[in-house]
Amino acid sequence: MTSDAPSPISTTELPAAPGIAADQVRLKGDGGRLLLLLPPDTNGNRHPLGWHDLWQQLKQRLSAGERFWQPQSVVHLVAQDRLLDARQLQAIADLLGEAQLQLQRVYTSRRQTAVAAVTAGYSVEQQSPVAHLVQTAVEPGQALDEPLYLQMTLRSGVEIRHRGTVILLGDANPGSSIVADGDILVWGRLRGLAHAGANGNREGRIMALHMQPTQLRIADVVARPPETPPARYQPEVAYVGADGIRIAIATDFAKTSLSATPEAADL
Amino acid sequence: MTRIIVITSGKGGVGKTTCAANLGMALAQLDQRVVVVDADFGLRNLDLLLGLENRIVYTALDVLAEECRLDQALVRDKRQPHLALLPAAQSRSKDAITPEQMTQLVDSLRDGFDYVLIDSPAGIEMGFKNAIAAAKESIIVTTPEISAVRDADRVIGLLEANDIKDIRLIVNRLKPAMVQADQMMSVQDVQDILAIPLLGVVPDDERVIVSTNRGEPLVLEKKLSLAGIAFANVARRLQGQSIPFLDLNAPHDDLFSRFRRLWRN
Repeated sequence: MTSDAPSPISTTELPAAPGIAADQVRLKGDGGRLLLLLPPDTNGNRHPLGWHDLWQQLKQRLSAGERFWQPQSVVHLVAQDRLLDARQLQAIADLLGEAQLQLQRVYTSRRQTAVAAVTAGYSVEQQSPVAHLVQTAVEPGQALDEPLYLQMTLRSGVEIRHRGTVILLGDANPGSSIVADGDILVWGRLRGLAHAGANGNREGRIMALHMQPTQLRIADVVARPPETPPARYQPEVAYVGADGIRIAIATDFAKTSLSATPEAADL
Repeated sequence: MTRIIVITSGKGGVGKTTCAANLGMALAQLDQRVVVVDADFGLRNLDLLLGLENRIVYTALDVLAEECRLDQALVRDKRQPHLALLPAAQSRSKDAITPEQMTQLVDSLRDGFDYVLIDSPAGIEMGFKNAIAAAKESIIVTTPEISAVRDADRVIGLLEANDIKDIRLIVNRLKPAMVQADQMMSVQDVQDILAIPLLGVVPDDERVIVSTNRGEPLVLEKKLSLAGIAFANVARRLQGQSIPFLDLNAPHDDLFSRFRRLWRN
């Protein structure tokens, strides 16, 4: 792979860009407090997230992103229309407690959840379900979520999905996958599958210190790694060029691609 | 403080049970009171490797069904009085026990022993979940093969998700000559992927098969084989001693192979 001519690697078109699952737990900073956003229970999703998966996801988020918050930050739980009983609320509060966070307020549109939260001694704000319906109506033109910062080893079998950019400090092992609507940055070895711009955005980029993926996808374009692996790995950037996914050496990428007008004509 | 360690892997046939038997014996030789628990319900064979098959009267399931006391089910080793075995039931299926029962069983072993080694079945199914339920530490056994390492990686992820953070690695069946000829993954390659601390490297040794068939763990031999030394070293590392890793390359590194390597590079 030479620096001046980024080499194309074998590419094929994906039949259809798989949509990002809307169901995932998110943590969001919001003016000194932290919002814990739970995915809606009934959003027309074919597979609404079960409590167990939700619990695992939250655990993963909390163990992977401790740089985002100060200890003893206040957390507001946005449960939307998800039904939570007292035991589940307590489980969430305990998990947050382990990460030195304090659950203080619960936003919900379900009466039972509100009752459970009040009984457990949290402030409650009940939102009408109508407001939620209005929100989903404007969803199509949605902006990307704020970047997801992870500090961990992504092991085989783990899949990270995020409606925004994913930054991973650590390795992505073979068998893992990262699917992001934005860019994917791996400060480590990328050996699994990476899918940037998963909502169809061909401007997505995949960057890694050590680019050795099982497969790269950007929007609807797929690329396999070359049959003969390079002798030496260095930081590289994958992007969509005129004829599929191209890979450039990171230090030259700014010169060759960022200054030139983006090759977006084929969009 | 009793240490509860589960010995597990992603792929089957990598030598978990051999490791459990030899580590149990080696720790007992270091004057630790050890019990090895066979958590591979339905397919027991830890008793075979320890040569204790004909002395099993009750199994862990009999204890849970309150048909016998715990100390009746424990099989004491004659050669090494510090070592005991809690056998699994062979006649029942692997669903015969729940994670809660396993935790209860292991908790009742805490009092009499310094080490509880749990020999887990491979994979990610119910038997595996049972085996890890009570553990605080874990030893991952893998061979230097891509499929075994990949599955080990998956299992490490599951262990971490189950709050077992103390995970260490044994690379089993390494063939130093093949590694030198670039035909086998090296320990470094395995560690690059798994990124967990290394506890030991055990070379491939035909005597392992002899010792399993006889029911005499390698570490019992008068003159230890290389694999036997490796297991004894692992036991001492578990005890917190810092023991340098064996130089497995030494016997293969003659003048001829050096020239060959030079030629290739």
